[in-house]
Amino acid sequence: MPDSSATPQTFVDLILRLQAYWAGRGCAILQGYDQEVGAGTMNPATFLRVLGPEPWNVGYVEPSRRPADGRFGENPNRLYQHHQFQVILKPSPRDVQDLYLDSLASIGIRCDDHDLRFVEDDWESPTLGAWGLGWEVWCDGMEITQFTYFQQAGGFECRPVSAELTYGLERIAMYLQNRDNIYDMTFAPGLTYRDMFHQNEVEMSRYSMRESDAQQLFALFSSYEAECKRLLGVGLPLPAYDYCLKCSHSFNNLDARGAISVTERAGYIGRVRALARGCAEGFLESRKALGFPLLRGGAAANGSLQ
Amino acid sequence: MTGDLVFEIGTEELPASSVVPAAEALRTQWQSLAQEARIAFGTVATHGTPRRLALLVQGVADRASDVEERGEGPWLSVAFDAAGKPTRAAEAFAKKFGLEVSQLGREKTPKGERLVAARTLQGGRSMDLLPGLLARLIAAVPFRKSMRWGSEDVTFARPVRWILSVYDGEVVPVKFGDAPCGGVTYGHRFLSPGAVEVRKCSEYLEKLRAAKVLADTAERRARVVAEIDRVAAELGGRRVADDELVDTITGLVEWPQGVPGAFDAGALDMPREVLVSEMRGHQKYASVETADGRLLPHFVAVANTPVKDTAVSRRGYERVLRARLADARYFFDEDRKRPLASRVEELARVTFLEGLGSVFDKEVRIAGLADAVDRLRGVEPSPLLAGVAALCKADLTTGMVGEFPELQGVMGREYARHAGEPEQVAQAVFEHYLPRGASDALPAGDLGASVGLADRFDTLAGLFALGRVPTGAADPYGLRRACIGAIRVILAKGWRLPLSRVVDAALDRHAALFKPSEAPKDPKAKKKPAPDRAQSKAQLLEFFRGRLKALWTEDHPADVVEAVLAAGFEDMADAQRRLQAVSALKGRPDFLPLAVAFGRASNIIEKQAKDLVPGPVDEGLLTEPAEKALHAAVAQTHAAVEKSVNTGDYTGALRVLAELRPAVDAVFDQVLVMADDPAVKQNRLRLVRSVQQLFAPIADFARIQVKF
Repeated sequence: MPDSSATPQTFVDLILRLQAYWAGRGCAILQGYDQEVGAGTMNPATFLRVLGPEPWNVGYVEPSRRPADGRFGENPNRLYQHHQFQVILKPSPRDVQDLYLDSLASIGIRCDDHDLRFVEDDWESPTLGAWGLGWEVWCDGMEITQFTYFQQAGGFECRPVSAELTYGLERIAMYLQNRDNIYDMTFAPGLTYRDMFHQNEVEMSRYSMRESDAQQLFALFSSYEAECKRLLGVGLPLPAYDYCLKCSHSFNNLDARGAISVTERAGYIGRVRALARGCAEGFLESRKALGFPLLRGGAAANGSLQ
Repeated sequence: MTGDLVFEIGTEELPASSVVPAAEALRTQWQSLAQEARIAFGTVATHGTPRRLALLVQGVADRASDVEERGEGPWLSVAFDAAGKPTRAAEAFAKKFGLEVSQLGREKTPKGERLVAARTLQGGRSMDLLPGLLARLIAAVPFRKSMRWGSEDVTFARPVRWILSVYDGEVVPVKFGDAPCGGVTYGHRFLSPGAVEVRKCSEYLEKLRAAKVLADTAERRARVVAEIDRVAAELGGRRVADDELVDTITGLVEWPQGVPGAFDAGALDMPREVLVSEMRGHQKYASVETADGRLLPHFVAVANTPVKDTAVSRRGYERVLRARLADARYFFDEDRKRPLASRVEELARVTFLEGLGSVFDKEVRIAGLADAVDRLRGVEPSPLLAGVAALCKADLTTGMVGEFPELQGVMGREYARHAGEPEQVAQAVFEHYLPRGASDALPAGDLGASVGLADRFDTLAGLFALGRVPTGAADPYGLRRACIGAIRVILAKGWRLPLSRVVDAALDRHAALFKPSEAPKDPKAKKKPAPDRAQSKAQLLEFFRGRLKALWTEDHPADVVEAVLAAGFEDMADAQRRLQAVSALKGRPDFLPLAVAFGRASNIIEKQAKDLVPGPVDEGLLTEPAEKALHAAVAQTHAAVEKSVNTGDYTGALRVLAELRPAVDAVFDQVLVMADDPAVKQNRLRLVRSVQQLFAPIADFARIQVKF
């Protein structure tokens, strides 16, 4: 382990250091979205903001729900809900890898102590109609970050290209604290991860895998879908996107419940993708109507890092 | 004057598997671009690491070569009017070459005299041509997937961060996106990140080595192997050979450093393949075994950096592997809680391919087809065959295969044994996938071979029936590999399978399994109707022909392969024997009499094809001693050839055929085949044709090129 004074000793400290680091590099620090999402990418601060010409540099913690990964609080490595630290740098700066490596140093992971590697990874989200190329970043053989240059979102080309850095906070914290079981990790002084989330894991797993009402979820999926389309029709892409996210989460719950067959699966994914595309299109149009305000004035400072 | 060109594309980490092909593409693209620009050059070397692709060219000319351009213009009668003044045709021709009519030459030809133009196009300075050429070179490197970055429009596999571009000691400015171009490269990301100046080809590798980068792929690969061997020896074992893994690691590191690691020996009760997959698949660790091939609870990780204290990274490597082995243990235990056979039903819910039903449907077809394959090769199917066919895909729903698709078959064998299936069945469940690639083993047992053939023929027939015939380089369903696999199994087993009947049997099962209303339809091509049955069969047989040709031309001359295929490949094992016999003989002096006998007969038959009415030779019309002798010799040879062919002794058959040459020569020297009497002529043509036909069961000798 790296020397302890240099490493964050709690989950909270890890978050604070990453926030401080990226705030110091010109990123606005946001909060996770107030809706269920499967990843920080789905937060409108990523999915919608990577579209169009406006610069955008932000960092935020995203609590990410993956119903199918729920393990009733019994698996030491897998969770229903984990936390990502998400950074968007748009346009991706020339020294983005160095900035990223410096961020690791700020949490005590230094290149002369660890075997750090950028290993090819092609990222694709069929539900969001998004893809990008980049790496999974390895620290001593463990994936600690997903690093992606966004090429497309909602079916639209990303110009300029954003760099997305997604840190897997639980994994990194476990490694820094040298814990083999997620629940033994220190969350804050005197509090373990178990104290904070174990009950949530048990109940959420039970809900998603056993107790959810599939009929109701199917009905919700359809009405969320209809609402999303209606809102797109009246020129409200942001509220529409909320309903797109609700559809996606309903789908994830149905999937975890085993209620969607392999053949049906592609159909549902296609329906969510169509909504996401509509939201992306609506958002681009609304920003254009506003004259892409972040291209001007003070925003330019945010647009160029350092 | 010539000079060195030192050119390097500095990148963020490239996909490991793209490094070698991209470096190779750099060479071929340079060669064609330089040739097109008429810039002469000497030796070309290319190198690649995760962070750079380099092209080093010695002896690059400082100017493009001049070209003489010459053109033929109008005849003098057209070029000048009656008054001797140039016409518009003459002026237009001169203008095309930037000349005046008075500067044009004249040329006498048998048809008359015409205007000609000649000029020298002077080659430009390489220093002026290289910037554009090298920018095009970067854009011409192909990748499986390319990307944009920042606000740039150019694409590459990963962002280009610098360009080192020096010709004859001077920087060649190359514009590609936002990458700065200059006379420097950069060393290892962590160990020596500073700029390194390079001016000459000869200093490139050496200077980078000093900056902790082994840029030469072969050298780096050798170091990877040496590091793994060194650490494996320290661990008291040896490296489990795995070229693919070594290649991948070579594409991931610039300065390889082996680090030892260990895992709990309790995991060794899981199949070796599971452990090796866990180590190599996600983690890229090399496995370690004893001298007698038993896996040790150790591994070698190859780091990109010699870290200060290897204990730190070692703990990290071990930790990740521990979590992975715990997952594998979970799957292994869970999977074994149910007998393998209980999973067969679940296959009905696993789609094989849209339009071709479920994997369960496929297994039903395999069972029927494997039975047919055995009967077609003349044996009574084993009572175990149906069991193997039913179980062969059952492991697809296990957790372990879900996690590691490459363990299909391996887990099937393991779980079949665990469920108490007969060992032959378990082994065949594994072997039916063999060979999995060009260098893989072939099935040892007949059960696995039969089921494997049925599996491959079923896939081929199904996809051909859907009209998904591979074209060009695209082969998304791996049909070429499936076809070559089937061929290799048949040839290795020496099975005498009538190919077209196996194809029929496979197509039958696709037709039979679907009612007319649900006949296989290609969901992706709604408007294009699927090809009809006869067309699919013809295409599939042609596909086999193509694979046989590709497989055989690896070891045999192309003309001999063509000749043998032309004589038929319905029985591929037989065709292979013919190929071996003809191929062995070709290039030896004994081949000459054969070729001469066949050639003399063929030439005349070819010329007289329209007059020849096929039929038996009428002995009563044979008058000359030479033709009588040949007729007798043909009858004798025919019997001998037939006997040899029936026993598959094609070398013997060819030897007998070669003995025919004197009799053939005698007829051509002493007898006038094209006799005046039409009946005699017809009879003699038939005699000559009977000679030609002797060769027909072996190969079409007309296709073999003979050098006298």
